[in-house]
Amino acid sequence: MAVTRTQKEIRQRAPLWLLALLGVNLVLMSVSARDESGHKRLIQVWAQAVASPVQGLFSGATGAGTGFFQHLGSLNRAATENEDLKRRLAATETELREAQMARDENERLRGLLDFKEKSGYQTVTARVIARDPSEWFDSVMINRGSSSGIERDMPVVTHEGIVGRIIGVSPVTSQVLLITDERAAAGAVVGQLGASEAMGSVRGYGRNGLLDMRYVSGLETVKQGDLVVTTGQDSIYPAGLSVGQVVEFKQGSATSPHEIKVKPSARLNSLGEVAVLLYRPPPRTPPPAAPSPSNTDRERK
Amino acid sequence: MRLKIAVCVALAVLLQTNLRLVWPPLVHLDLPLIVVTYFALRRDVVQALIVGFVAGLATDFFSKGLLGANGFSKTLIAYLIAALVTRVMLDNPLARIPVLAGAVALDAIIIVLLHRMLGQPSLVPFAETAAYKMIATTIAGTFIFYMFDIFFSDRARQRRHFAFRRRAARRSLVSRR
Repeated sequence: MAVTRTQKEIRQRAPLWLLALLGVNLVLMSVSARDESGHKRLIQVWAQAVASPVQGLFSGATGAGTGFFQHLGSLNRAATENEDLKRRLAATETELREAQMARDENERLRGLLDFKEKSGYQTVTARVIARDPSEWFDSVMINRGSSSGIERDMPVVTHEGIVGRIIGVSPVTSQVLLITDERAAAGAVVGQLGASEAMGSVRGYGRNGLLDMRYVSGLETVKQGDLVVTTGQDSIYPAGLSVGQVVEFKQGSATSPHEIKVKPSARLNSLGEVAVLLYRPPPRTPPPAAPSPSNTDRERK
Repeated sequence: MRLKIAVCVALAVLLQTNLRLVWPPLVHLDLPLIVVTYFALRRDVVQALIVGFVAGLATDFFSKGLLGANGFSKTLIAYLIAALVTRVMLDNPLARIPVLAGAVALDAIIIVLLHRMLGQPSLVPFAETAAYKMIATTIAGTFIFYMFDIFFSDRARQRRHFAFRRRAARRSLVSRR
């Protein structure tokens, strides 16, 4: 038979419940406090043993949860670290690029200095400040002009080879027509100057950054990879300056010249510093006048 | 309902034993006390007493302290809150916060006093530990109370009851057709 109690009765009995439960706790506490033989520990160990399967499940679940969040945390840390490393890498790359640029510039300037010492020509070192924006012309602007002693038709070189010639001068800047422009040309010889007779003229080919070498006799021996140097007969470039290297060659004959394509020695696409040779070709002496017949007769007499 | 309460108490105690593993500062949370306070606020004194007793004693089983200290403290707190709630209206979210904070403070005081009275090594630093426990438990408890309201409040019970009646009515309509 079920006993139904009113709320009032329950409330009235609550202090009794309280006292009973507190009493149980007090007894447990007093036993636990006086316990020297480890009974209390025994109760706890047994309680934990009973709860251990459930606790194991919980521990596994919370461990997995913790692992997941730790993994998320470590992912977050890794992402932050990754960003930091990327920033540092970018900074290092910038520094490296600057260092490489400085090294390249240093090499170019040293090359120009060596060139100046070896060639014996007076030079003005200049920096390329602009390139021709039009695709029709191959010219650059340098930051030296007439105030530095530069004049029209002076040759411009790097330590690797010829670059072009001055075609316009202002007091502080000059315009250089690159050797690759179709309107530029230079007298050149394949091989060593003085030893080779494969002489001709190089001029801009208009594409691929190559030069077209013309008028080389088809009877001369030319090989791919031969060096091409200036002859000094064009009244612009002094003799013996490197022009480039033969990269394409089509054998000519006794009646037709060789078809030769030359790759310029100077890296014209990445010009930084150049040297303007303050060079004036020696004035051409007119050929000696042919002796007149009257004079000849007089001499015979 | 009783099963739900038993599951809640068991979950609270078992979670409490694993909180430190999840994140060491979570040790300042007292989940069993939150559960005890919640059920003590429901105006059923005997139920509150039993929940307090069981939760406290279960906590003691997994604790290194005196066996029965948590049981004593939580039973007493459950009774005091249940007695208070019959006289003062505390069944709103704002009023629960000081009740929970007071319960945490009282729990800490009772446990420390019991340990002292029974000649156990004193629990120090009391003020710092109690303060952390009060802050953590009050903040977490406020949110946990909201979650419990979804499952245990009278309104939720009514909602479930009406939903059941609606489903039953629909079924009877379908069967008549």
